[in-house]
Amino acid sequence: MELRYYIIRRLLLLIPTILGLTVLTFLLMRAFPNYQLVQGYINPHSSIPVSVQMLNAEKALGLNYPPPVQYIYYLKDLFLGNWGQMSTTFYSGPVLRGIEYFFPNTVQLAIFSIILSIIIAIPLGTYIGARPNTAADQAGRVFSLAFYAMPTFWLALILQIILGQDVIYGNPFGIFPIQGSFQPTSINPLHPPSWLINTQLGTVLSSPTHLILIDALIHGDFAVASSAFMSLVLPVVTLTLTLLAGILRFVRAGMVDAASQEYVKTARSKGVPERLVIKRHIRKNALIPTVTVLGLLFASLLGGVVTIEYVFGYPGIGLFGLNAVLQNQIFGVMGTTLIFGLILVMANLIVDVVYALIDPRIRY
Amino acid sequence: MLVNEIDKTKITRDDYLVVQNLKTQFFTSKGIVKAIDSVSFSVKEGEVYGIVGESGCGKSVTATSIMDLVPDPPGRIIGGSIYIDGFDIISDTDKLVKITVKSETDVKIKRNKRLIKRHNYIISRIRGKKIAMIFQEPSLALNPVMTIGDQIIENILLHNMVSISESIIRRETIKDQDLDNFLSEASAIKNHSDLKRYVQRWARDFGMPDIEDSILNVLSSNAAKPFVRKELVELIIPQRKGVNINIFKETKDYHDDLNKLLDLNLKLLNSENKADTAGIARYEQEVKNLERQMRTKYLTFNLKRIILKKTYQRVFQEEARRRAIELLKLVNIAGPERVIDSYPHELSGGMQQRSMIAMALASDPRLLIADEPTTALDVTTQAQILDLIRELNKFTGSSVIFITHDLAVIAEMCNRVAVMYAGNIVEEASVDDIFTNSKHPYTTGLLKSIPRTDINVARNLRMESIPGNVPNLITPPTGCRFNPRCQHKMDVCEKSKPKLVDVGDGHKVACFLYSDLTDGDN
Amino acid sequence: MVLRKSMRTPDVVVKKRPRLEDTIYTAKLFFKNRLAFVGFVITMIYFAIAVIDEVYPQWLGVSNLNSMANWVPALSSNVPTAPTLSHGWMYIFGTTQFLVPIFPVMLAALKFDIGYSLLIVTIGALFGLAVGTIAGYFGKIFDEILMRVTDIFFSVPFIVLAFAISYALGRSLNTVIIALIIIWWPIYARLTRGLALSTRSMKYVEAATASGSSGMRNVVVHVIPNVLSPVFVQISLDLGSIVQIFATLYFLSVIQGSQLLPELGNMISRGQTYLPQGIWWPVVIPGIFLLIFTVSINLMGDGLRDVLDPKLRR
Repeated sequence: MELRYYIIRRLLLLIPTILGLTVLTFLLMRAFPNYQLVQGYINPHSSIPVSVQMLNAEKALGLNYPPPVQYIYYLKDLFLGNWGQMSTTFYSGPVLRGIEYFFPNTVQLAIFSIILSIIIAIPLGTYIGARPNTAADQAGRVFSLAFYAMPTFWLALILQIILGQDVIYGNPFGIFPIQGSFQPTSINPLHPPSWLINTQLGTVLSSPTHLILIDALIHGDFAVASSAFMSLVLPVVTLTLTLLAGILRFVRAGMVDAASQEYVKTARSKGVPERLVIKRHIRKNALIPTVTVLGLLFASLLGGVVTIEYVFGYPGIGLFGLNAVLQNQIFGVMGTTLIFGLILVMANLIVDVVYALIDPRIRY
Repeated sequence: MLVNEIDKTKITRDDYLVVQNLKTQFFTSKGIVKAIDSVSFSVKEGEVYGIVGESGCGKSVTATSIMDLVPDPPGRIIGGSIYIDGFDIISDTDKLVKITVKSETDVKIKRNKRLIKRHNYIISRIRGKKIAMIFQEPSLALNPVMTIGDQIIENILLHNMVSISESIIRRETIKDQDLDNFLSEASAIKNHSDLKRYVQRWARDFGMPDIEDSILNVLSSNAAKPFVRKELVELIIPQRKGVNINIFKETKDYHDDLNKLLDLNLKLLNSENKADTAGIARYEQEVKNLERQMRTKYLTFNLKRIILKKTYQRVFQEEARRRAIELLKLVNIAGPERVIDSYPHELSGGMQQRSMIAMALASDPRLLIADEPTTALDVTTQAQILDLIRELNKFTGSSVIFITHDLAVIAEMCNRVAVMYAGNIVEEASVDDIFTNSKHPYTTGLLKSIPRTDINVARNLRMESIPGNVPNLITPPTGCRFNPRCQHKMDVCEKSKPKLVDVGDGHKVACFLYSDLTDGDN
Repeated sequence: MVLRKSMRTPDVVVKKRPRLEDTIYTAKLFFKNRLAFVGFVITMIYFAIAVIDEVYPQWLGVSNLNSMANWVPALSSNVPTAPTLSHGWMYIFGTTQFLVPIFPVMLAALKFDIGYSLLIVTIGALFGLAVGTIAGYFGKIFDEILMRVTDIFFSVPFIVLAFAISYALGRSLNTVIIALIIIWWPIYARLTRGLALSTRSMKYVEAATASGSSGMRNVVVHVIPNVLSPVFVQISLDLGSIVQIFATLYFLSVIQGSQLLPELGNMISRGQTYLPQGIWWPVVIPGIFLLIFTVSINLMGDGLRDVLDPKLRR
């Protein structure tokens, strides 16, 4: 019961942060002159003169009011789902719809790699953390430090070289596609599936979930599904390795720290076998600080997503935002910033709730 | 250390714990801290043995060494023996670890994994089961993410499987004969408190302590005997769970055998320590035989344990929980049913320490080490905890090693006292002797530094203190470690180390004022 | 992977101002840790290269980067040549686009990457130190505002934030630097605020206040010296991250670099186009060069933290 109130309180505390986020994007947006802001609203082929179109757009966006009022207009538009228009070689149309199209792919990458890295990092971290300064521990530390210090884009390229299809001629390990969310060759050209829409911009969208892997499974097209799965492998492995390195460091540090606490001595003095001392007493406590940094690791994961989507040409929100930046689409950039901010804020909320659940000392 | 000097015949049956020439050192980046330097003492069954000294004198390290809980790295027991119940539990330390000291700060430590594994196995069966420990800071010593109940239950399930299985079996197979015996024995007891105790024990033996009050009520009613019997049967029937008792019988056998295996291993270890080749061969063979037997005997049992895990564990959990509540009652915790599901941070310091004590008592240890158990508590709670420990000592008859820096507490609690200074025992005597007839200058100084309203005010208004500080144990003073602070310092004190010698009536002191004997070390 | 590391050191280190002997002891402990020592040495070598490149570029043979193409030996094809020992030391790591030798460009890139990263971290740290100390020591409304503002900065992944800010300011090297400073100072503000808060409640600071020392004096005499060593550790750890981000932004061409700009991310990005031809060295070698630096500086930073945190000292 108490937990419910805690969550509600935490949700209320999110409001100022989210408002602050909108203030930030608003201020960044106002760094541009009006004519740049309304560019996305202008249709050069329309019969209405461009100057009139501009005036109309300025009015619709409330740009002729003083800044505080403009901000209210901005908030209203955000709330009503009017996040502006954009036009890039990657995607053209309303920003929010673009987010709807490409967000699922990013979530898919993130979730796969989070689950994988947690599944690997916790047992591994427990193992090496319980044996500080042994060979296994040193190896684990070198591994995590190397991947932690490695630039994500470079790791992605290296994995492409080693495991990517057709990168190095005759490489027997090169079986994974290096570009896109699936391979067009997996489509039967005589009967192209109706649930795949080929946008003119070279991006393929699937329905209903916009996740090709899931959609292909729903429609029973296993050729496309397996191609989508293979295309997912390298981006997920890259993200997993970087995230794994981070979590491993914290689990190990948490284990070493918890192992030196008095209650571990108590447990040993009770005659608890070492295996159970590690599992029941050390690890349970070590995971608490690990959970607190998960939110932080998640932030770095999202940063990594942008790079990885770029290197692998994976049509997610990172590639979407990057294209908006490179092709000067103000609303696209602000929309991306906002959506990343919202994900992170929600992730931190989840982390806080999990923290409250696993640490009985937290008072809701 | 001169091994030959150790006279093993000195270990008598009623010495439950014997520590001989114990040496513990810490290998730090600043140098080797000689925390314990050849400490020997023994604790008799049922006695409260006090260890007193300033902070940093090695009291706590002694306690943790006995439990083999010295944090490694940086610490290590580098020599000596610890006998519990006549068995040497520390295998030959030289075999476990090779330590090569190149210089104070450059030390190579090489571990023998196989022997350490066996050592850990033995020590983990002894910890908790034979010796339990309570710590100074209960708020740190309890696991913050486990409930008090879970922490006590963990201990019960580790060490009491045999007796739990027995109670469950008795409960499930209770016969008319058992009931008749109980009734006739109970009716013979006239004294109410005796009756209560008898009923309590009976209910516990038969795994139904929940209904002990009801049984008592029925017994004390003046109804006719057949009626009492009928009432009792009605009380007992719902207590029976109707579980398959075979698995509990097997559990009991299994844990009995585990205990046998431990005994054999201990015997093997002792033969090794005595270099008794015949013994080694014999016990090695016996250990092997038993292990082989157990493998075939419990093949199906191990399978069943995995398959029936849920139902099987639940019964044990329930029984362990009952016992945990009983233990909480034993240490005078109000509302044990509530406290058992609390987390440590929800309790006051006194309650936490009581829970610690309950946890330590869970396996009926024969020796309880209390390492400054009251230092972190406020004064009124201190008194309650001290009373509790004393009561439990009388009630359970187990020995207590009581470590404190507070002489007043020593006076109140202990039978015998060892005074420690800089890693040595400098004086050991009965508590009366220490307070009325102290010999060592350090002890005398300590006694003078107690604020006392009765004597000091009358004699001189000022409280005395010992000049100087506890020495740095990386480079301890040569000879007697107390010599830089001693008022009676002689030339010999700097040159050699005095031996702890008996000066009459078991009063031992290590000082050249009383004896010329030196310790073999220096 | 890049992470805001300030938050990963929850144990706030506060101790009395170290005396000389303590400093020497700390240094001894630090150098006893072999990995930290190796990290320190390599980091220093990288720094030295960067400094030499600034002062005497001709020593490294990279004085005239714009005419780098002049070095192109008379080779028939325009495909990067593989690492070889036969064309002299400049060609030991092969060539990249326009047959530019990789090794001297990598050396030249250090000045660029390390120099700007150092600039960003230093300015960010100084600003954050000032704001954080004042907020932590004087507290109240100022503290509240700081916490809320930093909350917002921490609620956006900072590669994305770097996009947005540098984009709003007009994408160029200068604006990216400004953007990274804007993103980086809150980390230091948070760190020093925590340290200042705990120093404020230290007995010796209370004693100073009781004997009439003014608030500002306390900040200068007691708080700042206590904050410095953790901030220093933080800087050393952050340098690795900033270099990574800097390279990443070039790699993503958020900052437009000229084709020959000596910057590791830029080099990798340009070399990437040759991957399908099986030409791996323009990508792999600059990356390893960067990795060695980030690993070393992390080793050094971890080592520093271990010796400066009294809890970890033995």
